[in-house]
Amino acid sequence: MDRRDFITKGFIYSALAGLYSATLGRIPLLAAQRPATQATGNYDLVAVRGGEPVAMYRRAMQEMGGMQRFVRRGQRVVVKPNIGWDVPPERAANTNPDLIGAIVKDCLDAGASRVFVFDNTCDDWQRSYRNSGIEEAVRRAGGQMVPGNLERYYRDVEIPGARRLKTAKVHEAILDNDVFINVPVLKHHASTSVTIAMKNLMGIVWDRRYWHRNDLHQCIADFCLFRKPDLNIVDAYLVMTRNGPRGTSTADVALMKSLLISTDIVAVDAASTLIFGSQPQDIGHVKIGAEMRIGQINLDRLNIKRVAI
Amino acid sequence: MNLRHLKKIRIVVSLAVLLLLLFVFLGVESKVLQPVSDFFLRLQLIPSFIRFMALFFAVSGLGFLLILLLTLLIGRVYCSSICPLGTLQDMFIAAGRWFKKKKHRKFAYSANQKNIFRYSVLGATILFWFFGSLFLVNLLDPYSNFGKISVSFFQPAYIFINNKLAFFLERFHIYSIAPLEVKTLPLNVLLVSAGIIATIGIMSVWRGRLFCNTLCPAGSILSLVAHKSIYKITFDDAACTLCGKCERVCKAECLNSRTKVIDHQRCISCFNCFTACSNNGLFYSRLKPLAAEAKPKAPPANTGKRQFLLTLAAGTLSVPLLKKTSLAKVLSEPGLVPTGTASPITPPGSISYEHFTNNCIACYLCVGACPKNVIVPSFFDYGLNGFMQPKLDYHKSFCNFDCVKCTEVCPTGAITKQTPEQKQTIQIGVARFMQESCIVTIDRTDCGACSEHCPTKAVNMVDWEGLRLPEVTPDLCVGCGACEYACPTEPYKAIYVESNLVHLDARPIEESEGPQQQILDDFPF
Repeated sequence: MDRRDFITKGFIYSALAGLYSATLGRIPLLAAQRPATQATGNYDLVAVRGGEPVAMYRRAMQEMGGMQRFVRRGQRVVVKPNIGWDVPPERAANTNPDLIGAIVKDCLDAGASRVFVFDNTCDDWQRSYRNSGIEEAVRRAGGQMVPGNLERYYRDVEIPGARRLKTAKVHEAILDNDVFINVPVLKHHASTSVTIAMKNLMGIVWDRRYWHRNDLHQCIADFCLFRKPDLNIVDAYLVMTRNGPRGTSTADVALMKSLLISTDIVAVDAASTLIFGSQPQDIGHVKIGAEMRIGQINLDRLNIKRVAI
Repeated sequence: MNLRHLKKIRIVVSLAVLLLLLFVFLGVESKVLQPVSDFFLRLQLIPSFIRFMALFFAVSGLGFLLILLLTLLIGRVYCSSICPLGTLQDMFIAAGRWFKKKKHRKFAYSANQKNIFRYSVLGATILFWFFGSLFLVNLLDPYSNFGKISVSFFQPAYIFINNKLAFFLERFHIYSIAPLEVKTLPLNVLLVSAGIIATIGIMSVWRGRLFCNTLCPAGSILSLVAHKSIYKITFDDAACTLCGKCERVCKAECLNSRTKVIDHQRCISCFNCFTACSNNGLFYSRLKPLAAEAKPKAPPANTGKRQFLLTLAAGTLSVPLLKKTSLAKVLSEPGLVPTGTASPITPPGSISYEHFTNNCIACYLCVGACPKNVIVPSFFDYGLNGFMQPKLDYHKSFCNFDCVKCTEVCPTGAITKQTPEQKQTIQIGVARFMQESCIVTIDRTDCGACSEHCPTKAVNMVDWEGLRLPEVTPDLCVGCGACEYACPTEPYKAIYVESNLVHLDARPIEESEGPQQQILDDFPF
């Protein structure tokens, strides 16, 4: 191959690739079939807007490099949605069940030996699991719901470097499995203004009262020192804009059709906070998280992929 | 039909009813069995009658009439087949036989009817009820006692086994059995339940169905009807060989094989005598036994009368003393007394303190059924009048907003049936916020656990000195106790629910407008 040949072929191939991405690439079905090697996977954060939850997830995951990047064959995965409340999916107090189902399926397709899903719920756990629709979605996807209602499931851990929350009791599903995927729903929150990925981790510990008693924002940030999720997927399809975190009716909910993925828990919270309409610096635990170098609050420093579908 | 088979049928029916009712008390959910269990629940004599009165002559409370008619027809089959405590006693009797020497295993006719005593007890029970106290019903009613025993002992045992099994399966990542939270009843309640089970056990091992023919108010009511029943067990003089086998198996000790007389007031229609007799010497007959024969020598009348009058007088005098003692308690002033409701909080659907205490027989079906374990037995919280009746305790749990389990199971109408929509606007109490002991004011850090858990946003966070402080909107509050439960302050909560003595209507949550469209035009970053 001489230089001219290389340039000519290069032009042709890149033109074809451009044509492809301009036409066929826009069709999500075909796009999803593109081999993962073609997706970059070098982004710090992927944000998708304008689609249904599962479609947005598929697209974002593809940009992140596919689930194979995070889940290797034979590994055991724990998915932690927000299932705090005994309310139906349209109230958006819990993570979208279809999204959870798609993630579980994706993990299994990537070769995960088992996928566990749980939350330490606020309302009655069995009712919350059932009425959130998540139990059914996980069952259908081939995952396994795990109870979190008894203290015996939680083990004491120490959190090195923490300022206030030096110990906590953490659910065994987090401690005993290989991959931890955090799937919060973006919501208004009475105590912390917003609840996203960092705040969602309150659902993997036993004693939440301690956090509330000992500087809530600091405790939320401290806990991230113990175990950062391998992946944070923020469901911002339906967003509760007031009366959070439980909400009182569907009037509290806005259709925002967004989804964010990042391995950086502070960055994903900062970006989600902006989508919510607030400033990351105003959210205590996000600000502290950045100060404690848990993650990047300054989105300008990140390689972000923004996708509209 | 050969009358010998009646005993077998009785045993099968009684065990089936016992199991069906036990399932309800243990909280075993089954769509198939539920209607059958409900049917037998509705047949329980005293709960059914109280339901009939509490719900203003409700059809669902007519079970007692069915039982009275059945008794009028063929005697006290209720006591031998439908009453769960009766079957429990039969089990004690059967267990007792294992430990007894052979000669002590048989029963013998007791001439002492104890009618004065038992009808005095019944009279006092009715009198108490008439004056608005179910104290004696709560202590004596067989169904209520069966419930107390079930929730105190059988349910914890069931949960223990369930959890052992669940934890075992979890090792193999099988999660088909849900682990249950252990229900620990207060020690004093457990002691009373233990006392009840001991009393029942000792009485039945010693003298068969002695409880049914002395203390049991349901038994006494049915005795009066069975006395006049159309069909009665009678001796066939021609066939009877005076062998006495029938008398030896008579749990009610009401059959005299020598004089061939059966005291039909005490007979619980267990049909043991039919099976024991090898000559078909007993049969069901419409013939009235001779009045003179039916009545053995009455004990000296004057002492009995005196006893009766004394019991009656004591009962009458004590009623006003028992009434509503806790109502007299002064409501706590915020700040003076730490925190906590002045009078116990009654379950949603119970209408008022008065309606609840006047109709609850403390069977603890709601205690056993509550998935959040927020309904717990009280002891003297309602005064002696409402001894051991359940209340809502927000220290360990709160009332789940969409759950109406207790309103569905209550057999007496003390808790009336509610749909989730109805329940969500019943205000059983009102949240009170004590700013002086709140984390936010004292530590100057955000908290908001109360508002977080509030299902109606009656507790809302408002801006306060750069932080967010709870604020209560009383008319939105349903009194579910989520705020009180979630509040992390110790030892007293900075927010608590004060009970409503009469339940009120909460302002309904504004109707849904559906989600607002806020689809992003572009990312804000």
